[in-house]
Amino acid sequence: MSRTALYIAGRLAGAAATILVGALLVFVVMKAAPGDPALSVLGENARPEAVAAFRHKYHLDEPLVGQFLYWLGGLLRGDFGRSLTIAGGIPISELVAARLPITAFVGLYAIAIAVAVSLTMGTIAALYRGRAADTVATSVAVLGISMPDFWLSYVLVFAFALGWRLFPAYGFTSPVDSVSAALYSGFLPAVAIAAPMAAVFARMLRTSLLEAAAKEYVVVARSFGFTPRFVFRNYIFRNALIPYVTVIGLQVRYLLGGVVVIERIFGIQGLGSLAVDAAFARDYPTVQACTVIFLGVVLTVNVVVDLACAALDPRRSL
Amino acid sequence: MTKSQGKGINRRTVLATGAGMAAAGAAAPWLARPAQAAAGTLRAGITGYNVINTLDPGKHSLIPEAYVVWALFNGLVKFNGKMEVVPDLAESFTAAGGNTLQFKLRKGVKFHDGSEFTADDVKFTIERLLDEKFASANKGKVSEVQNVKIVDPHTVEIVTKQPFAPLLAFLTNTRTGTQIVPRKAVTAMGNDAFGKAPIGTGAYKLKSWKANESLILEAHDGYFVAGQPSMATVEIPLIAEESSGVTALKGGQIDLTSTAPFADIPTLEQDKTLKVLKQPGMNCRFVSMNLRKPPFDDVNFRRAVSLAFDRNAMVKVVLFGEGVASHGLIPPSLAWAYEAKAREMSTFNPERAKAELAKSKYAKEKISVPILTWGSSWWKRIVEVWALQVNQVLGTNFTVEVNEANTVYQRQRSGDFNGSVWGWLGPVDPDEYVGEILHTKGWRNFYGYSNPKMDELAEKARAELDLAKRGALYKQAEDIAIDEAAVLPCFCSNIHNLMTTKVQGFTQLPYSNFGDQFAFIKMG
Amino acid sequence: MTGTSRSRYGHVLRSLTGSTTALIGAGISLLVLVAILPGAALMPYGPNEADFFNLLSPPSLAHPFGTDSFGRDVLTRVLYGARVSLVVSGAGVLQAALLGTAAGMTAAYKGGYADMLLMRTADLLFAFPAFVLALFLMVVLGFGTVNVVLAIALIYFPIFARLARNMTMLVREEPYVQAARLMAQSTPRILGREILPNIAAPLIVQATIGVAFGIIIEAGLSFLGVGVQPPTPSLGVIMADGREYFQRGPWVLTLTGLAISIALLGLNLFGDGLRDLMDPRLRQRVEQ
Repeated sequence: MSRTALYIAGRLAGAAATILVGALLVFVVMKAAPGDPALSVLGENARPEAVAAFRHKYHLDEPLVGQFLYWLGGLLRGDFGRSLTIAGGIPISELVAARLPITAFVGLYAIAIAVAVSLTMGTIAALYRGRAADTVATSVAVLGISMPDFWLSYVLVFAFALGWRLFPAYGFTSPVDSVSAALYSGFLPAVAIAAPMAAVFARMLRTSLLEAAAKEYVVVARSFGFTPRFVFRNYIFRNALIPYVTVIGLQVRYLLGGVVVIERIFGIQGLGSLAVDAAFARDYPTVQACTVIFLGVVLTVNVVVDLACAALDPRRSL
Repeated sequence: MTKSQGKGINRRTVLATGAGMAAAGAAAPWLARPAQAAAGTLRAGITGYNVINTLDPGKHSLIPEAYVVWALFNGLVKFNGKMEVVPDLAESFTAAGGNTLQFKLRKGVKFHDGSEFTADDVKFTIERLLDEKFASANKGKVSEVQNVKIVDPHTVEIVTKQPFAPLLAFLTNTRTGTQIVPRKAVTAMGNDAFGKAPIGTGAYKLKSWKANESLILEAHDGYFVAGQPSMATVEIPLIAEESSGVTALKGGQIDLTSTAPFADIPTLEQDKTLKVLKQPGMNCRFVSMNLRKPPFDDVNFRRAVSLAFDRNAMVKVVLFGEGVASHGLIPPSLAWAYEAKAREMSTFNPERAKAELAKSKYAKEKISVPILTWGSSWWKRIVEVWALQVNQVLGTNFTVEVNEANTVYQRQRSGDFNGSVWGWLGPVDPDEYVGEILHTKGWRNFYGYSNPKMDELAEKARAELDLAKRGALYKQAEDIAIDEAAVLPCFCSNIHNLMTTKVQGFTQLPYSNFGDQFAFIKMG
Repeated sequence: MTGTSRSRYGHVLRSLTGSTTALIGAGISLLVLVAILPGAALMPYGPNEADFFNLLSPPSLAHPFGTDSFGRDVLTRVLYGARVSLVVSGAGVLQAALLGTAAGMTAAYKGGYADMLLMRTADLLFAFPAFVLALFLMVVLGFGTVNVVLAIALIYFPIFARLARNMTMLVREEPYVQAARLMAQSTPRILGREILPNIAAPLIVQATIGVAFGIIIEAGLSFLGVGVQPPTPSLGVIMADGREYFQRGPWVLTLTGLAISIALLGLNLFGDGLRDLMDPRLRQRVEQ
């Protein structure tokens, strides 16, 4: 147990270092990019003296090292600072607090749909390998990853929102305001996000189930005379879950930022959109804050996934 | 089979819950509501933008900010439906000598916080704009003002250093920043806080604001126009994608949009459930050239390029017909200064273009130059269509270089470009179209254009108070600019508002007004 | 464990002809290849041939996919665009797969600081949402085709590294790896001969998905206007344009998306078939 605790502590320390390096890299990269936040705020027709005043007010005319250390100091006190250009003057923690639940909700919603669909499809495909059910399940899964997700979003909007008027065509209610409204307004985007994920999950599950079924220990277990159900549950399925869980873990980053296009189409105010809008508007502190949050969430999930895999496979050392 | 049934039940349950919530009208924001809004609520979507940094008129600069500022504040004067300047917070105004305007102010006008509007607030508003430390993006609008004299609590005089013709237009409730703010509240709150919790005299006051998402306004009971406003609440979702705005309007999630995608206009005009308002806006989109660098440093080459593309084709292809070709910088809505005739050097003429090219010092070179642009939409299309035509006629190789808007603005300002595109929406005075970019010292003159004759005309026009004479001066200035191909005006694009047939009372003005019309809107 | 290469290929051929999905996939892929390679050149239009009098005209015999917002033939552009997209996505994924797999396997096998360093780098890259990473790259390097390739490679490098590492960790204790180690075989040989074939299946699945997703990433970047530069057609550029004019010309987005779906379906089905055949243990099972 204490070994696990040590392991987790080590990983978290590593994560903190990674976040720091990542934040520094992003800081340097953003500053190296052309563009000026003053122009985002003051408009393309801003007068030079207004631009200079803006830069001075937000310390953009100071040396870079100082700017970074100033930001880092704030971060260590738990202060992300204030937005420069996309929500001028509003504390970034407020922006993040409004968006994190949205991103988490939509992501979990999509994962739930994808897991439900893929467990069914993947298992059926593996159990009926080579038969009609396998062909159908596999083909549907393959179609799922073959459709561009934003194309699917449009198809969904035009069928279910504008055609049959079952769901709102645009707009998303934050789960903070109302969970039922969030479930309702988030359904189409969650489906669009879930479709490729479900396909990936199902394919991965089918592959690893078949691989696990071919393992020597399964043959041995069968020769002991265990029932097929027992063998499937305890030997095949359990082992097949390792890559499955890994693949689900891999989706976290997709859910944080990869769904920006879908967020745009449905008007979802997610973290990914915040980061992208901020990068385009040169809202440096907001970009930095998003970086820290992305890195933090993903690294934490990585640790959790590794722990889950270790729990599933006792042979594997941490 | 069973599975799909189960799903159906679920979906119905979710639907029922959603509808119930909306009926209760509880905390559910605008979009949880299907098709119908609560009575007394107007849902006016700002489309194409989702950033509003400040609602302080003095600080605002982006058009979505202006859209909302117009609903919360009033200027001393405003434009009526015929684009004539008429009193707003002023009861009347008179010119008292060449450089003084006197305003008689309305009595009994209340700010949202209940305090009374007086001449002191006018003085405060303008002096705040002039204050170096305030660093207003709109300072230029009042920089000619020498002082603001309070004659009595309801009379004020604005004195300029010299006769300054654009002043009256700059005091309207447009993208000018001169909307009147209360001295007491601003001083008490500080400028930054005021930008987040604005207090004006407008028909609506700010109720809540979710960054990048939506704003909710509620009626200002003490609004000085009797019988206005009639809608109790205005919800303003910020919809970043124009096409999503159309989707939301058709799906019944909003009642009114601030813009519309050009290509969709013909289809939308066919739609019987919608109203489409459109007219040529106050704008001029042009291809800009860096006159300090080859090949645009040669006047013959510039003329060749100007003659080598068809502006009507630009309107047809870039705007899908939603605009008018420009042969000068001033848009048609400034009728007294607008030159309707096509000018010689801006009329498509391939033969003459080739002749001009032959005269230029680049006659024997294969010109290969990137033209800088940004975005997706038509900023990119302008350059694509322009380059296609010019390359075909002149055998040049102009290419399209797309970058981010922010980068492009910066590169134009610093002169780090050969050619690019520019244009803006909403300036209300010809000086902003001609003087600011063609005068040697024009602050928007990023192109290195300098011509003493032009400078003289621009200065004379700024001081000329007679509209007809002033208009003639601008036409002369444009003649020179087009003849020397100082810039390449392409077109003036239409502005659009889409609304459901229920929305009554919205009058569209060419500077792309929006929030100022909320007071007039009734839902039929 | 592994047969001679002759019998392996012989087997592949035999099984391919026996597997319906793989056959269908191969058939579709072949059709797509024919369409985009010699087929595109046979089209009566050029990919950038604009017709200003024929903007957004609906599908007809002359223009089976209709015309786009410049009056260009959409089918022609899709065929040319598919080449561009395939090369962009393929180049990005290939780079990532080679580097990522090598790095991941080495890290897992060697352990220690090498593992630490490689995995921290991978973690760092990996922790950035793909799209955001791509955008940051575009913001700094500027827009353009080469940078899209780089962005896709950067996105997929940590995925391959991590997957290769996890799978290597799984098999490195297997008896055949230990046997090879006991026989004092060199590390590259053990990695290449013993481990790689046994972890190839999920990597191939990932690469297949990668190319498909790579095309979607390219489309997404173009959607935000930062991808492949006009007037070069890529599937992303075409769809972005179709998206913008969806109300007036829904066929541009719909038909292009449909064409992409079918092409990727073929590619993925074929990949699936190949995967089953390349996995030694699965193959063994088939042979039993």
